[in-house]
Amino acid sequence: MTTMRTRVALLVVALGALACDDGLVPQPLCPPGFVGICGRVTFRGPVPDSTDVVYIVAYATFPASQSDLFTFQPQSPPSLHLDSAARATTQPYTLKLPAGTYHWVLAAWKKLGVLTPQDADSLLREAGFYRDPADTSQAGTVVVSGATTGVDFVVDFTNMHPVSFYFP
Amino acid sequence: MSPLRAATLLLTMSARQAGQTVPTGAVYGVVRDTAGVAVAGAQVRQLPSGTAVLTDSAGRYRLDGVPAGIVTVRAARIGFYPQQLVLEVLAGDSTRVDFRLRQSPLLVNSVIVTAAKRSQLLDQAVTSVALVSERQIAQRAVNTIDEAVDKAPGVQFIAGQVNVRGSSGFVEGLGSRVLLLVDGVPANQADRGGINWDLVPAGEVARVEVVKGAGSALYGSSAFGGVVNLVTRELREGWHGRVRATGGVFANPPHAAWGFRDYTGIQDGLDVAGSYGQGAVRAGLSAGARHSDGYRQQDRADHWQVTGKGEWRPEPATIVNLSGAWASDQYQVPEPWCESTQCADRGLAFQPFLINAANLGNRTRSDKGYFSTLVTRTPSERTAWMARASWVRTHFTDAYPQRRPPFSTSDYSIANRVGFEGRVVSRPDTLHVVTAGLEVTRSDNFSNVFSGAAGSTRTHTEGTYAAYAEAEQTVGRLQLTIGARGDFLAVDGGGITAFVSPRAGAVWSTAAGSWRASAGRAYRAPSLAERFVTTYALGFPVIPNPALRSEDGWSAEVGRTWAPRPWIRGEAALFFTQARQLIEPVFNDTTLVIQFQNVDRARLMGVDLSVTTTPLPPHLTTTLAYQLLDARDLTRDSVLLYRPRHLLTLSADFVWRDWGAGADFRFSSRFERPDPLFPGDRQFPGRVLDLRASWIAGPWAVHVKVANVFNYVYNLAPRVLEPVRTATLTLTFSY
Repeated sequence: MTTMRTRVALLVVALGALACDDGLVPQPLCPPGFVGICGRVTFRGPVPDSTDVVYIVAYATFPASQSDLFTFQPQSPPSLHLDSAARATTQPYTLKLPAGTYHWVLAAWKKLGVLTPQDADSLLREAGFYRDPADTSQAGTVVVSGATTGVDFVVDFTNMHPVSFYFP
Repeated sequence: MSPLRAATLLLTMSARQAGQTVPTGAVYGVVRDTAGVAVAGAQVRQLPSGTAVLTDSAGRYRLDGVPAGIVTVRAARIGFYPQQLVLEVLAGDSTRVDFRLRQSPLLVNSVIVTAAKRSQLLDQAVTSVALVSERQIAQRAVNTIDEAVDKAPGVQFIAGQVNVRGSSGFVEGLGSRVLLLVDGVPANQADRGGINWDLVPAGEVARVEVVKGAGSALYGSSAFGGVVNLVTRELREGWHGRVRATGGVFANPPHAAWGFRDYTGIQDGLDVAGSYGQGAVRAGLSAGARHSDGYRQQDRADHWQVTGKGEWRPEPATIVNLSGAWASDQYQVPEPWCESTQCADRGLAFQPFLINAANLGNRTRSDKGYFSTLVTRTPSERTAWMARASWVRTHFTDAYPQRRPPFSTSDYSIANRVGFEGRVVSRPDTLHVVTAGLEVTRSDNFSNVFSGAAGSTRTHTEGTYAAYAEAEQTVGRLQLTIGARGDFLAVDGGGITAFVSPRAGAVWSTAAGSWRASAGRAYRAPSLAERFVTTYALGFPVIPNPALRSEDGWSAEVGRTWAPRPWIRGEAALFFTQARQLIEPVFNDTTLVIQFQNVDRARLMGVDLSVTTTPLPPHLTTTLAYQLLDARDLTRDSVLLYRPRHLLTLSADFVWRDWGAGADFRFSSRFERPDPLFPGDRQFPGRVLDLRASWIAGPWAVHVKVANVFNYVYNLAPRVLEPVRTATLTLTFSY
């Protein structure tokens, strides 16, 4: 037979269980032990209706030709959440990369359709890239030795460039 | 009986009488409650079996013929703990003894004034009504009255926006679907339709009545989801005063990585109130100020207020009331919090205690006030009428020092609502009651943010002309109610839109309570702000929509009030609301603008329960309240935003002599659908425990409260941090 004291104790435990919850906790932009790039993209302009996906990729060296376009890292790049792209002004991203130096970190917009090297110019666009803080007309260099943060840039759907813009 | 025997008997009795005669004195005084309010009808008796008298309307009593010497006098009244005092009575002299009774948690059927626009017993209301008593307000040591209302069954505040059974959700305070009344006078903002909860100081509120469900049949627009009536303190005979001082500290962030200041934030306040009443005239005045450092970056706030109230009874059947209040707030704007890169984020995805650096310097000045005149006349037991004139004014200025053209660095709005109402309550016999009235309201708004055209300042007006009537008939144990209200609305002098809001209800009285059922139509006209807003939010222009239509819907309820024993009282209700044309901000993906539009059809249904018991009378009082809500967005076939499925409130209060201790626990389940503007944001349940203690002795009262004891850090509205652990000490002296 439960006593009043037992009931009170059970009530206190139940209240404690309900009351104890983590709630908001500090959330590192880069997970612990992460090697790669963490940053945020800021969206500009409406998302085109023909959009399939927008990837974040990195190149160890700036591609010298169209054939170098497929040397990006990582092989399975993360994509941005497009349902929020038009509404949210910024969105965080993480890009898992091997340690090293990267000379072009960009957002690659892909049009709806099956991508082949032959269709790259019609289906792919550069939608924005990390810029050199000292000269924002140039791509910035990112050195990855662990978790590299602050690699932030703008994805501008109103000012995208096809492959032929870089490799005519 | 022979003459001789009679004479002998008379002599014997006279001798005994002379032998028992003792010197006597008188005891007199006043019986008040702990708030200093006179307690009429209290029984004052000399113990163990002496004379007993009842106090008059001013709480006064006088006991004559009290034997001289040490005596014990006891004062008692239903609803209060009895008090007995030992005193010495001098022969031929009078001794003053004042009593101060503390309210007891005896569960009695209360008188309410809001549900039917007239006085009635709680059990007789056709819709659910939740009460927040003066005792509960004092126990919770609140600064603003919304902090006390927040714990009422079925009520939840989301970043300051009140929800009754999930009525409003969260729309940045715009377009409240709950109507605020101050002593029956509508007090929602004329421009935004929202509520200024700091319009009336918490210390001036005697009780709060929360009428749940559609109230449009009597109150028209804004009462779509419920009505909250703040009933202020009555003015009393004689001089009375009250000083209330508060001080408190905010906990610092629980994680060092969230630190934002190197000191402990405080809050403090002082309120002084005084009143005087004699004969036909009574008046009261109060003034106060408070300051808060806030619990986040850029969260300082200062508040000043003055309230006044007067009463004149030119004759017993006529009462003239004047009341008014003015409050001014100047506060920094601490929202929304900082996401990574928007501030010194220290490598974190977000900093909930910091603000987006682009919003540094944002601040608001908000002045608001109301004035009302009310004449009530009761020429006979069968008829009473009232006439009311009221004026509510708000004036805010939002400063955005970092804004760049074309957007203004300052948004402002000046809004007035002038209202007139006449009402008659007729009781032709004991079985019938008819309430009927006319109400006229005119709102105007001069603003650059609700102007309807970007970059310009304009005035908009809205007129509402309404008539309402409700009849009640008693047939045995059944009480039937039927009524309707017609509202005619004109914006900027344009065409008139009409709405009719009927309601029917029934109450079946039983030996242990009552059953009730009601159904009615509700509507809410869009606020001037929703129609004409022209501003900038979340990086996008917000454009006006003058063509907005009113929301409308049907609401129904079946309820049970149950009090089988004096120590238990239960309330249960099944409720249902079907709404259409709900007004919501809509983001247009193509044009990249935000606009208020009539978009949603919604259905809200659920169960609302509350049980109050006194298991260890008179020491322990417990309350359990639970609301199960199924809120569906029928347009998108999904869950309605910002409505928790489960809302649980547990309260307990223990009183021993002058000491008291209590706790409130509130659980609200996480919202099941994230805001589409912030799809990646995690949703949190609300799990907050408040502890409190009190000591009340004579005119002094000390309340200590620790809110959010576990310092649970969470948010309900997007990127708006809910209050952290806050310890508050309140000292009150009442005369």
